[in-house]
Amino acid sequence: MNCEESMKLMDAYLDGELDPITSQTIERHLRDCPNCDEVYETHGSLIRAIGNATPYYRAPAGLRERIQSSLREEVAERPRRTFTRDAQLLVPREQPERRTVLFGTPWNWMGLAAAVLLAAVVALNLVPRLQRPGADQFLATQLIANHVRSLMANHLTDVASSDQHTVKPWLDTKVDFAPPVVDLSSEGFPLVGGRLDYLDQRPVVALIYQRRKHFINLFVWPAESNASRAMNAISRQGYQLLHWADSDFNYWAVSDVNANDLQTFKQQFEGQTSHH
Amino acid sequence: MAFPLKAEHASETEDSESDQKTVKFVVVKKREEDLPREQLDITSFEAMMLPHLDAAHNLARWLLRNEEDAQDVVQEAYLRAFKAFRGFHGSNGRAWLLTIVRNTSYTLLKKNHTVDLTTTFDEEIHASGQESLTPAAILENSEDAKLMTDAMDELPAEFREILSLRHQEGLSYKEISDITHIPLGTVMSRLARARAKLKECLAAHIGKEK
Repeated sequence: MNCEESMKLMDAYLDGELDPITSQTIERHLRDCPNCDEVYETHGSLIRAIGNATPYYRAPAGLRERIQSSLREEVAERPRRTFTRDAQLLVPREQPERRTVLFGTPWNWMGLAAAVLLAAVVALNLVPRLQRPGADQFLATQLIANHVRSLMANHLTDVASSDQHTVKPWLDTKVDFAPPVVDLSSEGFPLVGGRLDYLDQRPVVALIYQRRKHFINLFVWPAESNASRAMNAISRQGYQLLHWADSDFNYWAVSDVNANDLQTFKQQFEGQTSHH
Repeated sequence: MAFPLKAEHASETEDSESDQKTVKFVVVKKREEDLPREQLDITSFEAMMLPHLDAAHNLARWLLRNEEDAQDVVQEAYLRAFKAFRGFHGSNGRAWLLTIVRNTSYTLLKKNHTVDLTTTFDEEIHASGQESLTPAAILENSEDAKLMTDAMDELPAEFREILSLRHQEGLSYKEISDITHIPLGTVMSRLARARAKLKECLAAHIGKEK
């Protein structure tokens, strides 16, 4: 790592937001480079001073009460807005005199309107629920973060080689599983190298492939026996994620290539590994 | 040109929130007359959100730089949050609330055109040749709360916001990214720029005092 690179990553390093391996690289550089070390030292002190020297504006007395009473006012107003209308829907027979006219509208029209609104509610409620962070969504967030970090910190590979017979043995010595490594140059996805990474609090292997000017991180770790084999494609924040599994391994491919390219990549990868 | 974009985004977020308001309104209809349940709603909402009142107020205060506005915005944000509460299923209540506080703050800043004003910040005031100050000299003065606060108040809203979220709330890049709707990489670069600007402002202030 040179000084320029180390300066670029300074803030993320001091904030503890870099992956452990890049952090170690920086630490090594700082040991060798007194200039950078000094800059880090002063910048770190300044960063600490920001939190210490700026006032934290606690909520003044009275604001809590103000909020609590405004919430109660809000609730108290709700029945007034909705009571008559709903009473009509729920007990129309007992109150025929209200049935005919409500705000100048026959009640069954109100019923229809309510039904339409209800359908809209169901639809609107369903959308965020589908996007709700489940386990996969949480993993997806981590995957994207790792993918971004690998590009951001210029720490794409630990072992840079397009030769699968170099990458695989290197990886095999680093983790307690032996992931399949294949070069897909002839299919348009040249192997760039391999990297160790962490996901879900476990070490995983990241294989890096290139598609034109884009990179694909393929994260691999042993599959649990009961794990779902279902394929799963997610698109988030402009990144495509594709998950699949075979009897031995879990695969998550992350990239900014388009969804079709990623599908092709998966098919090629699977096609090549099944021969091994 | 980051600010016009920011303003547009704020209004977008506003739209999606008003959608949720509609949702709220109708769902509530089904449960009319059920005051105890409404009370229950308030109780669980307050139990989950009031502990973050200081954080909400602090963020609004830094964004608006004005105590009265900050209180109004926090109250309004809590009301909006309450109306959208049944749509909230996450576990990070603080981040969710801060997102709403932030959007509400930007709405007011936009209305008062303060967002535009803050973007005029820069060269004329701060290019006043403070390069002679060494980092060590800046650091020496960095414990001066007044200097530091004045310097931070001069920064554009997006810098005040990110510095406050990071240094006062101690949030991770990921949480900041969720609250401000900017990608992780942008969080990193914006934070670095904010700190660099803060240094410049500090230097300018130290220069003035001498």
